[in-house]
Amino acid sequence: MIELEQVSVRFHDRTILDNISVSLTEHRIGVVGDNGSGKSTFARLLNGLLLPDLGTVEVNNLDTRDDGKDVRSQVGFLFQNPDNQIVMPTVAEDLALGLKPHKLTGAEQSHRVSVTLDRFSLTHLADRSAHLLSGGEKQLVALAGVMVTQPQILVCDEPTTLLDRRNAAHVMRLIGELPCQVIVITHHVEHLNDFDRVLVIADGRISDDGPPGETIPRYLETLA
Amino acid sequence: MIVGLYVPGDTALHKLSAAVKLMAMFGVGAVLVLVDTVVPLAILVIGIGFIFTVVAGLGRNRLWAATRPLLIWLAIIAITQVWVADKEAAFEVILRLIALVWTAALVTYTTRLTDMSDVIARLCGTLRPLGVSPDRVAFLVALTIRLIPAVFDTVREVRDAQRSRGLERAYLAAFVPVLTRVLRQADVLSEALIARGFDRWDTQ
Ligand SMILES: Nc1ncnc2c1ncn2[C@@H]1O[C@H](COP(=O)(O)OP(=O)(O)OP(=O)(O)O)[C@@H](O)[C@H]1O
Ligand SMILES: [Mg+2]
Repeated sequence: MIELEQVSVRFHDRTILDNISVSLTEHRIGVVGDNGSGKSTFARLLNGLLLPDLGTVEVNNLDTRDDGKDVRSQVGFLFQNPDNQIVMPTVAEDLALGLKPHKLTGAEQSHRVSVTLDRFSLTHLADRSAHLLSGGEKQLVALAGVMVTQPQILVCDEPTTLLDRRNAAHVMRLIGELPCQVIVITHHVEHLNDFDRVLVIADGRISDDGPPGETIPRYLETLA
Repeated sequence: MIVGLYVPGDTALHKLSAAVKLMAMFGVGAVLVLVDTVVPLAILVIGIGFIFTVVAGLGRNRLWAATRPLLIWLAIIAITQVWVADKEAAFEVILRLIALVWTAALVTYTTRLTDMSDVIARLCGTLRPLGVSPDRVAFLVALTIRLIPAVFDTVREVRDAQRSRGLERAYLAAFVPVLTRVLRQADVLSEALIARGFDRWDTQ
């Protein structure tokens, strides 16, 4: 559960997010909005990668300002470009990297890695060189690399923008099936139909908020 | 490039512990310094080549790939050695170099980077009282090796984009876009690392 209270973000005197108060409790929440409206800025607030200039962001009652590290151990983050997220040379090594802070024994660690690889059907890629995979495979590896740490909340910033339709749908289906809370920013609104709630961001404010059946048609109308 | 990296396999060499392999590599280095006649050196080179291609199952193509970047240096060394010393000296130096590079390639091809960095971490463990975090040193080694191909990719992408616009030989013009992109990637990468808990390694 994430709580934003009167949050504002400024970059060089420009207000990017303007006095946002919202409480995120639903299982699956989508965020849509035009380019430059402030979606990525909003996302980076949620795990303390970015701190608000005004107001507070709390994750399970931890303030991102005071407890950034603890917040990040509970909030996983999936970026648009998996190349920036995948660090280690091979797939299995990259999954193991995220477990470093967990101080597991070698056996526990490789068990967690293999269970996670299996869950995302990546076992056959375990020893493959991660940066030589296809875009769709890379994004799955990045997702597995986040989920191996068992976060309580997953924030995704345009996780399907670089993927073809089939891979985009596959990644979104896996994200939608996760048991943890997920917050997904996307321009592919068709993936949000099963979500519980959709926020529309425009000019740094939440301009619309409600179930996808209502908000998405209204948002699409503003684009027409 | 020796950053050709790990080739999965289950030969005896793959199973050998990384520490033993690194020690063996230094051992070979020491032997190479001590042996100074051509025939034993040649036998050693043939032996390492055999272990590389057959025992570790890495094949002749990889052996050639590891040797190719050396050729120009070997040529230069051969010429200078023949000039300042004699043919025998030239052979010795060349055989030593080949043996060293093949051994290094053999170790990198058969050892997972994580295993290698674990050994480095243990070595750095002795520096812990000085404030060195072994995990981080090992990680930085891995990260550096991972970033080398990424930088080459960036250079290629920028060059491709420029060539498509008719800038065929604008090598200098590539410098600024490559640098800005590498710096921006470094920014994004450090953010991704923080999101993945890099800043929590020592505290929990
Ligand atoms: N580090 C920064 N410094 C200055 N301005 C920034 C910075 N980051 C973002 N901005 C500005 O904040 C605004 C919102 O950016 P943000 O990345 O949040 O938009 P977005 O909704 O994610 O857009 P997109 O759909 O293109 O990803 C943009 O005008 C951008 O230029
Ligand atoms: Mg964005």
